[in-house]
Amino acid sequence: MARKIFQKYQYDIALESGVGANLVSWATGLMVFFMTLAIAVNIGLASVTDNWVEGLSGSLTVELQPPAPADGKEKVSEEQQKDFAALAEKIAALGGTHASVSAGRVVPQAEVLKLIEPWLGTAMPADLPLPALIDLTLAPDADTAALKKDILAIAPKATVDTHDDTLQDVTTLVNTARLFVMMLSGVIMLLAIVAISGMVRAKLAIHHQEVETLHLIGANDEYIARQFRHHTLKGTLKGAIAGVAAMLLTLYAIGQMTRTIDSSLLPNLHLTEKDWALLIAAPIMAGALIAHLTAQKTVMKALARLD
Amino acid sequence: MALVSFSNVGLRYSTGPEILNDVSFSLEKGSFHFLTGASGAGKTSLLKLLYLGKRPTRGIVKMFGDDVTRMKREELPAVRRQIGSVFQDFRLLAHLSAYDNVALPMRIAGVPEDHTRRNVTELLRWVGLGEKMEAKPPTLSGGEQQRVAIARAVIARPKLLVADEPTGNIDPEIGMKILLLFEELNKHGTTIIIATHDADIIRRFGHPEMKLVDGTLIMPTSGAKAA
Repeated sequence: MARKIFQKYQYDIALESGVGANLVSWATGLMVFFMTLAIAVNIGLASVTDNWVEGLSGSLTVELQPPAPADGKEKVSEEQQKDFAALAEKIAALGGTHASVSAGRVVPQAEVLKLIEPWLGTAMPADLPLPALIDLTLAPDADTAALKKDILAIAPKATVDTHDDTLQDVTTLVNTARLFVMMLSGVIMLLAIVAISGMVRAKLAIHHQEVETLHLIGANDEYIARQFRHHTLKGTLKGAIAGVAAMLLTLYAIGQMTRTIDSSLLPNLHLTEKDWALLIAAPIMAGALIAHLTAQKTVMKALARLD
Repeated sequence: MALVSFSNVGLRYSTGPEILNDVSFSLEKGSFHFLTGASGAGKTSLLKLLYLGKRPTRGIVKMFGDDVTRMKREELPAVRRQIGSVFQDFRLLAHLSAYDNVALPMRIAGVPEDHTRRNVTELLRWVGLGEKMEAKPPTLSGGEQQRVAIARAVIARPKLLVADEPTGNIDPEIGMKILLLFEELNKHGTTIIIATHDADIIRRFGHPEMKLVDGTLIMPTSGAKAA
């Protein structure tokens, strides 16, 4: 089909010459460029959400506050420390013994220090009281409410974080961003429709006399509209392919430039074959369809005003 | 039944004065008429009504039995395809070759390309443009452009041929050849109406003359009946 569109086509109206012959290609190219960007951002954000949800939803973190020194004492006694460590181990031991927990581990102090490093820096006192963090990996179909109850029965002052609030916040934020991107591409599409419609009307005005001659010879509106449709579709496909190519190059360049950035700050964007197909085919097909329908509607409407 | 009939037809452009007033006549199938009148008398306006380039502001125009004044615009192309027109300004499509200009009516009518090729080639050779089939109109002389316009008007063997000064820009010998072509078409049943200033041609061919004076058709003679 593409070969048929790009092969030499005899236009009765001189649509391929004169001012603005390639404007449709430019308008569609820009539209498709931004549509591809919108789809890429959407896929990226969806991938980020999935990664975070996957990382957090199968686990639960228990935090035990460090013991305070006994009355009249300056420091925590060794016995208190031992009890504190034993309590942490007891909760970690739920892994394998509790139906809702498949594994458990006490987060080593070095890891805890690493977590608070961004706020307190590296020069921390050696006797800084640190909370105990216990990571529990949940079993499939875990009953988190019952588990929470069982943990609090062991350590009444423990804080149990099921990550639900964090997940909710992240999902809401990402979904809002995705909606914004979709709305933005909607606006770009509308602008492209207005631009293509304006260009088709301008072409009709420029070639008014040729159109009138064709009418007088006996051409109907469909015969004339077919030429505008073909011309617009050809320009659109050229622009759309260029737009997608430009955006893919841009994405590749961004990927190369951000390779040195800490991977924990940026999502690891992995595109499947389906994602690539969507990223390349959807903007081209949408761009072509939009331009095709816009040209058809604009020409038929304008021709209907002539006699 | 008359092929064309005008009843009390009036035409004005926008809010200007009436260019044609109370024009009434009918043309029988296979008739041949010359339309005469001084410049500004309304000849081109009457031809515009005949080739459906305009609709009258009043009165009734019937073509091939149908009232075109009230016809839906979607129905007009089919009627126009039965009319061949030679416009005063030729109206050739500048970016198309002479061949493609002449082929247009056949392509619009959906005639197969091999049939179109045969007919267009033959006709262009007949009007003396066999060597200039691929030439674009701007590279042709006025007379050559006129011959392309004439060939385009007759290629689809129209029922009605309307020509505005078809021999105005061409040398007498070619002009005579063109008129003989029109005569030939007329013998095959095409109704012809030609606007001309050339008294010599009118005398030589002896077809009836319709004369316009200040927008009024005052001399419909034999063959063209006053309606």
